[in-house]
Amino acid sequence: MRKDVVYEANRSFNPVFKQKKSILKVMKTVFLITFSFCMIYPLYWLFISAFKSTDEFFQFPYALPSEWTFDNFVRAWNLADLGGAMINSTVVTVVGTIFTVFLGALTAYVLSRFSFKWKGFIMLFFLLGMLIPIHSTLVPLFSIMNEIGMLNTYWALILPYTAFELPIAIFLITAYMSSIPKEIEEAAVIDGAGYWGIFFRIMLPIAVPAMATVAILAFLRYWNEYIFALVFINDASLKTLPLSLSIFSDGYSTDYSLTMAAMAIAVIPTVIMYVFFQEQIMKGMVAGSVKG
Amino acid sequence: MQDILKAKHWIIISLLPALLLYTFIVIVPIFWSSYYGFFKWSGMNEPSFIGWANYLEVVNDPIFWRALKNNMIIVVASVFGQVPIALLLALLLRKTTLFQRFVRSAVFLPMVISTVVVGLIWGYIYNPEFGIVNALLEMLGLESWTRAWLSDPAVNMYAVSVPIIWNYIGPYLIIFIAAIQNIPTEIEDAAKMDGANGFRKLFYITLPMMWTTIKVAVVLCISGSLKAFDQVFVMTGGGPAQSTELLATYMYNNTFMTYRYGYGSAVSTMIIIVSLILILISQILMRRKEEKGMSI
Repeated sequence: MRKDVVYEANRSFNPVFKQKKSILKVMKTVFLITFSFCMIYPLYWLFISAFKSTDEFFQFPYALPSEWTFDNFVRAWNLADLGGAMINSTVVTVVGTIFTVFLGALTAYVLSRFSFKWKGFIMLFFLLGMLIPIHSTLVPLFSIMNEIGMLNTYWALILPYTAFELPIAIFLITAYMSSIPKEIEEAAVIDGAGYWGIFFRIMLPIAVPAMATVAILAFLRYWNEYIFALVFINDASLKTLPLSLSIFSDGYSTDYSLTMAAMAIAVIPTVIMYVFFQEQIMKGMVAGSVKG
Repeated sequence: MQDILKAKHWIIISLLPALLLYTFIVIVPIFWSSYYGFFKWSGMNEPSFIGWANYLEVVNDPIFWRALKNNMIIVVASVFGQVPIALLLALLLRKTTLFQRFVRSAVFLPMVISTVVVGLIWGYIYNPEFGIVNALLEMLGLESWTRAWLSDPAVNMYAVSVPIIWNYIGPYLIIFIAAIQNIPTEIEDAAKMDGANGFRKLFYITLPMMWTTIKVAVVLCISGSLKAFDQVFVMTGGGPAQSTELLATYMYNNTFMTYRYGYGSAVSTMIIIVSLILILISQILMRRKEEKGMSI
């Protein structure tokens, strides 16, 4: 024991060893900086290009803009009706998120607090949904919605988004509620509160952390979702942001800095959200993907 | 008795909305598409029953097999790209200094960006006129390597895999960092006492202790990369000449571009079968890990 301590001490005083260690440390730092740069670069390039004129973009595609101009943002906003798209995205995302959190919490309350015959089966049934590839339901959902006249409505997006997010929502909230001791509701039961009362006044407030995680995940997923919107929405006035971007880039395919500005507008809300809720987003997405 | 009835009533009422929504939107379409796979149907006219013809056509279409092969390329690229990169970074990012936290956030950043934006921006990065990939190669004196990355069938499947790798490193990094932090410090200390340092500690202590987590990551990576197709769809749409076709783009192009809903339904069913087979294989991997009695 004593010997080890001496040995360690000698080593750290050894100048050659120290030098080797510091070279390694520099190499590590250089690697990490380079790697982070590669991760951020596409987004950085997107933003600087959005502030350039198209001519300048072609001349110096990688340089900082000589003159920072908001022209592209204004033009993109007006040409692609990004304002309308943003309203559509907001409606679909907010309503979908509320549905997901509420239905997820309600179902989780029942699954975590009651025991009944079919409970195991219902849990398994919801878990099954995580295995189903979303794009394999496109054709049947399109046909069904076509039959009942649901295409080209907000519901055509809100309902599928909610349905596909429900398994993860139920799973995360059930796990959280199960970890809370049952004594907490017992007082309320004695007071004669009904199940709705217990759910709204006790379970919902307690489960806020899990519900917040679900809400953030749902929000990001719905805001960015593309393929359902592409297939179920044709009406120009109902297009969500990702959809109007993909169409916009086709129409103005050579006006690159204009397209970049449109993309920047679409990306800003999620990036701001990321800055504020970073830890929660990381943890939530990992929990969501591990369970999914 | 009254109470039990009341509870039963409540359970049914509160489970019903989620259960109905989920059943009709997630489960019913699977049966619906396997059924309509037996019909010739343009979406407008009455569907007419044609037996196994659609399914046979899918299995006999070389493009379907190419799409399946391309999907496998994405899966393999993701497993051998995302997992090792995330592992290396996790080993370097064991502290919580400001700098290290910044690197972590940077790596996770693409996760919050719309897949459409990812597809479009990487399309520009690969652009032969002004894309930075060719510009960098020219700068390095490798002009002969420059090419139209997304339209050259010899390389475009690998080119479209890079953005998908870039997009999804984040979660694996977080999983690995958590796994490293879970290694008991006593074990590390003991290893140090025994004179294990650097690579020896890495190969005899850290990696074996993380092995179960690495397996879980691989399983997640396989099922996750089956879902990734937005980026490819935006970058190439499956072209040129169907060289980057994935199962999902194949399904989309055959259904909504040519109005063959019966055929599209058959392809959808095939997608489910392929995914279930792959998930089953990865679950078997998972099972092995549980036998050893460890979990993440």
